[in-house]
Amino acid sequence: MTVTRTSRGARLASRAYVAYAAQRTAQAVAVVLLAYCFTFLVISVLPGDPVTATLRNPQNNFTEEEVQRIIAYYGLDRPVWVQLWEALSRFVQGDLGLSLRSNLPVTRLIGDVLDSTLVLAGSALVVAMVLAFAIAYGTRNAPTPVAKVLRAFPSLFLSVPSFVIGLLLINVFAFQLGLFQVIDSEGPAATFFAAVALGIPVSAQVAEVLITNLDHEARQEYAGFATSRGLSRSRLFWRHLLKPSSLPVVTVVALTVGELLGGALITETIFGRTGIGSLVQRSVTTQDLPVLQAVVVLAAVVFVVVNLVVDLIYPLLDPRVDLRGATRRVRPVSDLEPLEQGAAA
Amino acid sequence: MTFTRPRRLWRTVAALTAALTLSAGCAASGTGGGAAQGNGKKQEGGDVTFLIDSLGDTWIPNNSSISSFQGHIWGHVADKLVYVDENGEVSPWVAESWEQNDDATEFTLHLKDGVTFSDGSPVDADAVVANLDIWADGRPDDGINPIGLFPATYESAKAVDPLTVQVSFNAPTLGFIPTLGYHGSILLSPKTLALPAEEQADLSNDIGSGPFTVASWKEGDSVVLEKRDDYDWGPEALDHEGPATLDTLTYKLVAEPSVRTAAVQSGQAQVAYNPSPQELGPFKEQGYTVAAPRYLGFVNGFALNTQVAPFDDVRVRQAVQKGIDREQILDTVYTSDWLPAESFIQSNVPGATDHSDQLAFDPKAAAALLDEAGWTEGADGIRTKGGKPLALTLYPNPYLATSKSVDELVAQQLGDLGFDVDIQAYDVVTYGEKVAVGNPSVPAYEITRSFIDAGTVAGILTDTNGGEDWFNVGQSDPKLTELGNQVASSVSTEERAPVLDELQGYVLDQAYFVPLTQIVQRLYLQSPKLKGVTYNGVAYANYYTAYLEG
Repeated sequence: MTVTRTSRGARLASRAYVAYAAQRTAQAVAVVLLAYCFTFLVISVLPGDPVTATLRNPQNNFTEEEVQRIIAYYGLDRPVWVQLWEALSRFVQGDLGLSLRSNLPVTRLIGDVLDSTLVLAGSALVVAMVLAFAIAYGTRNAPTPVAKVLRAFPSLFLSVPSFVIGLLLINVFAFQLGLFQVIDSEGPAATFFAAVALGIPVSAQVAEVLITNLDHEARQEYAGFATSRGLSRSRLFWRHLLKPSSLPVVTVVALTVGELLGGALITETIFGRTGIGSLVQRSVTTQDLPVLQAVVVLAAVVFVVVNLVVDLIYPLLDPRVDLRGATRRVRPVSDLEPLEQGAAA
Repeated sequence: MTFTRPRRLWRTVAALTAALTLSAGCAASGTGGGAAQGNGKKQEGGDVTFLIDSLGDTWIPNNSSISSFQGHIWGHVADKLVYVDENGEVSPWVAESWEQNDDATEFTLHLKDGVTFSDGSPVDADAVVANLDIWADGRPDDGINPIGLFPATYESAKAVDPLTVQVSFNAPTLGFIPTLGYHGSILLSPKTLALPAEEQADLSNDIGSGPFTVASWKEGDSVVLEKRDDYDWGPEALDHEGPATLDTLTYKLVAEPSVRTAAVQSGQAQVAYNPSPQELGPFKEQGYTVAAPRYLGFVNGFALNTQVAPFDDVRVRQAVQKGIDREQILDTVYTSDWLPAESFIQSNVPGATDHSDQLAFDPKAAAALLDEAGWTEGADGIRTKGGKPLALTLYPNPYLATSKSVDELVAQQLGDLGFDVDIQAYDVVTYGEKVAVGNPSVPAYEITRSFIDAGTVAGILTDTNGGEDWFNVGQSDPKLTELGNQVASSVSTEERAPVLDELQGYVLDQAYFVPLTQIVQRLYLQSPKLKGVTYNGVAYANYYTAYLEG
């Protein structure tokens, strides 16, 4: 009987989890669809469109009839709500449409540049983590005057915009020292410096959280006990303080995803890289609606997925997180209890 | 969302980039001093990097061939039927020879034998017919535009035999042969032309017969071209046989002008397109080549709207014609590479005649004309008539980077005459919506445009035969209509020349068009090691003939 109850309980728990997952997924889908429609409406209220501006360039000298036929090809002659409905029906079938500016499929445009942005964002994240941990390590293990200076770094990094850092890096390392070429913007050296420009502000947030938590852990009894037993500072840091202090970093990293994507726009433009950021910049200036909608959806998806992943891996990292509590929040206890009681009876 | 951050940020970014790169440039020139000159020895092969401010929008050939950006790539990937040099001289290319009937309505083109597209298919009569058809009509319902400025009188073309094409027009079309050398008239494989718009938009699918082929491209980033080894049909006028000397040409987008020039200075690239004119002085002193070829076409100037006050009075128009100090514009905004306007068409256009005397700066005569027209000067210096001020709004041309600075000077000059000038600067999209020829709120429409044949002029003067009617006169001026019709119906350039001269004098005298300066819309800063570059009638640099020195 016990065996049956356990397996049944597990099934109920997994059913609860499925419901939880379904609810979360439905929320995510709604967020994505709303983002898609919202972008459409916001851009629709702007005057003009990319096609008409080009067609009416006096150099072209088209007749009005030609202009109207071409506008009809792009579907821009129809009322906004019809355009939205058509875009939405395409979107739910997985078709992101054609770019109005380049005439290429939006999926292809994004596919072409996504890797570049991911490489930049990924490298920036690595740079940020290395920097943050180095600063945090320094604050606990370096001689006091140095540690004090290091503690000021996060606020300094946070207050300098990434484009200023980028321009300084280009000026010093590309033009003065010749360490990388502006032309070879996707090369390893240029990518490294772009990642540094993007990673520095992110490292500040991580370092701040890390330092605060290290300070907190260092005040705990177990740390004092370990020190009194003669453990060296660095050994205490690596063996006892680091792991518990690192947990909140996971949450901060999830929050910085937005910063990495947003910062990529500026960093890519400054370093002349292709990527989602520079694609957005070109699309905004030409009101390329399908591309902008797709990028907004992509950003929404990234946020939703990252947050979901963090929710899912957190319990694995920290046994103190009560999973049952998490499930119960979603599925009320009253739904579950009668079944369990029934099963017990 | 991040992408809606205010423009101010971009301006700050641009300004900071400029400041930093300039400081870097100064540091570099301080230590380096002078450009790296070549050793005079021609190198076989070599790679040239061309830094460009944009790679435009689409790559659909018809929609992008006349672009100031994509046009550079098309000029190397595709050939044309005839070659037109910077003086408008027409010479054979893929068409070896041609004939026309007496009334210039039928043309026969004889094609060179052995010309092939890079996919191996022949450039024969059928291919040329397919190209002529799509240039003339496009496929608007499929998103493929016609070629701007292709003669609207085009009727049809047919292949007489594999190397002979017969082309018919419904009216005399002297401009047809020169138009074949226009940047829009690029020959592409019929297979490419048959593709839907979204596939033509993939540059890799666009097959031409030019001296270079597309090796790779990345949207919004770069295009790499490599030479075609079996190419042997370049224009005779270029004095270069066989394939190109350079191995590859890389067009790389670098948005910031000072980064483009700094990169040429540091040897990271060979050509910087569209540098700021004001930046060029020191580069010239250091031995860099500055090329400022002029295209064939209209000069930059104002088409005045004759139906709205105050330009419904010819005296006010003439006052503007005489009240603009064109020399000051050249000195202030441009460099010595820009030339003063001599007519309303560029002076290198065959048929353009020198009317500089009609464009002389004469503020006294201008003031007298305004007095005569009843506009009297008030205490604040602004002239009024019947209580209304002599107001004028200028809309800088957003397609021309220097337009706003020029308009500011014009506003100052006309302000001295007693005009109350307001400048309304719009971005491309808003400009397209609000500013158009003949719009009652647009008294002066700033315009310049390239064309290959002076006959094009007939199509803008009045509304005859669907003309563009730049001055909003309709057919109210019989003399203008008559001169326009004579130009349009001319069957030989000899017959047309005196009419064109009279027309230019008349348009300037009536001040329908107020020229500002001859226009350089494509400007190149070039490494001194790069030699042998040629420029065609629409001012595109051609690297088929170019080579590097060691």
